[in-house]
Amino acid sequence: MDNTKPTILIELDPETRSKHLNRAKAWFDNVLLTQGSCRQLVEDTVEKIEEPHIKQYLAEMAEQEKNHEAKARELFSVIGREPSDIRQLLGTVTGKARQALGDFIAVAGGAEVPWQDLHQVYLSNYNSMGAFAVAEQLGLALGFPAIVDVTFPVIAEKSTSQLLLQECVLEMCSMSILYKEDF
Amino acid sequence: MATDNSTLHRNTGFSIGKTELKTATASRQELQDLPTPARPLIDAADVVVPDGYTVEPVLVGLSFPTDISFADDGTIFVSEGGSSWPTRPYMPARVIVQHPSGKTEAITMNVQAGPRSVTWHNGELYMAFKGGYHMQIARYNLDTGDLKILIDQIPSGGWHEPGGPIFGPDGLMYFGHGSVSQQGVCLPAGFTVDLAKHPNAHDVPGQDVTLTGNNVRSRDPRMPYPYMVETGAFKPFGAPAKKGEVIKGELFCNSAVWRSRPDGTDVELLAWGIRNPFGMAMNEAGELYVTDNDFEEKGERSIANDPDRIWHIKNAREPFGSVKTPAWYGFPDLCGDGLPVNHESHLPSRGTPAELLIENPPAWAGPAAFLEQPHSCMCKMDFCRSEVFGYSGELFVAEWGSLAPLNSPRPEDLNHGFRVIRVNVQKGTAEPFMHNRKMGPASAFNSGGIERPVSCKFSPDGKSLYVLDFGVAKVTPGNMLAFAHTGVLWKITRKEENNG
Repeated sequence: MDNTKPTILIELDPETRSKHLNRAKAWFDNVLLTQGSCRQLVEDTVEKIEEPHIKQYLAEMAEQEKNHEAKARELFSVIGREPSDIRQLLGTVTGKARQALGDFIAVAGGAEVPWQDLHQVYLSNYNSMGAFAVAEQLGLALGFPAIVDVTFPVIAEKSTSQLLLQECVLEMCSMSILYKEDF
Repeated sequence: MATDNSTLHRNTGFSIGKTELKTATASRQELQDLPTPARPLIDAADVVVPDGYTVEPVLVGLSFPTDISFADDGTIFVSEGGSSWPTRPYMPARVIVQHPSGKTEAITMNVQAGPRSVTWHNGELYMAFKGGYHMQIARYNLDTGDLKILIDQIPSGGWHEPGGPIFGPDGLMYFGHGSVSQQGVCLPAGFTVDLAKHPNAHDVPGQDVTLTGNNVRSRDPRMPYPYMVETGAFKPFGAPAKKGEVIKGELFCNSAVWRSRPDGTDVELLAWGIRNPFGMAMNEAGELYVTDNDFEEKGERSIANDPDRIWHIKNAREPFGSVKTPAWYGFPDLCGDGLPVNHESHLPSRGTPAELLIENPPAWAGPAAFLEQPHSCMCKMDFCRSEVFGYSGELFVAEWGSLAPLNSPRPEDLNHGFRVIRVNVQKGTAEPFMHNRKMGPASAFNSGGIERPVSCKFSPDGKSLYVLDFGVAKVTPGNMLAFAHTGVLWKITRKEENNG
């Protein structure tokens, strides 16, 4: 090797690298926030549903959501950063706030509880799935396979949950809106 | 606001300019501990080249680089970024410029797919772009900042890549573009995102063809229900063909190679039926050769054991403007060996066997100048013109490497490629020139060697071969993930005692 000409590193100097990792960390806080919100919504919605099959689907989903939240925390350790406590708290608060908003929309739109809660879970899962998907892209952009290892299984599970939630929301909308009945 | 397809699908140019680039220097020791876990180690000692040659890493941390070129004074240009292979993550679309002084800067551009090639010619930079429904060839003047789109009519928006531009001894510009479809029919077996971005994209023949009406049945992943649709050759996804239907050949087709004046005027179609002419090179005698990649063994039109190949484009020998009938090299119905895709030697072990699509195929312009192992993924290449480097007259070809097990179930395809070969185009033979100690990408066995060579070009003085290494792309039976900041530019030089 010719040592008279040193190799040039492109955007791998400590300063640039640290800046990129700090920016990724800010997004990981978002992942934790949206996931905390989603987990809270799923847990609370399970209690409101009586129909045994949908209740079972959501109960299993709630267990997954706890694991997804743990996975969101793992993202920080991969890049040597700590999550922001305030954003975690915000996630839970946001989950509660969305329920309140969901109840309001349910009344205004003529839909009954718990369908509107289910609809909120549907949107919330989509939101958190998107946040994980962005984190995965950041992992690829930064050259971190461990970030992909964390996010890919979560996105796959959430993608399956999204199909399930969509199906439940579409199946039960007529019960809620036309017949004004809960389930 | 325009609503017609031709206006909506027209590219509108893009902004371009120069910016500073954050760089640092690294010692050999520092290259053993890089901050990119996907590729933490770069070590030239792990790379095998013939005795009498040395290898060194020049640039490390490139993001999805595609091509390299040189100004006459030795300035290095490396195109990288954009939405490439796979389409995400998008990394800044730019050309990295390293001046002979060592100063490194970037030409940045706001264009989604990014530059797929870069060529310095007569003091200006020529680049080919994907993105949108048409590929583009652009010319950029570094002194004035002027950007001019020279070519913007070639149907793209699908799977394969632009080729060139390169310039011949005749001063003409030679360029190409691969097929929109991956397997001869637009199917979701390629990245589904193409169907969302460019639902009307399709292949276009270079000559009039009559269709067999053999359509391919598949699911439409865009639909909320499990819609099954039929798609025909030279049609957008979901549009079936009729038996006996004639598709008119066009100058601006795809799976094709053209030439024009350097300003993009007087375009002449030389050849079509070339699935992916990403690599193009011309020797000192003016003979044009292009790489081409094989069909995949998967999905609804599955084809096995199709060799990678290098085609000799004999029409390039004809006087400019005299080619009335383009030569046909077989796509979408023939494999690289000239056998039809439904021949028993090409029947797949998975997926739906292919049927023929063209009822009246033109005469085949093969055989190939060189056949390579399937899925080697031959990319950009360059003829050696220097006795100083050795192997003068031979064609050096970068092999990106296999996408198996994603595109082939065969274990023997797993480590095809991942090297640079030198091809004797007269004899149709090749020898490995640069590879790892164990065949395959370095990341597969934690070495500091090469990953996926995507381009190789000789320096203007002919003393060195630069090999551009795309970086880490991990493949599984279901997907492919590529990691940015893992690309490397390697330099191979013949030792002083051997080069006189």
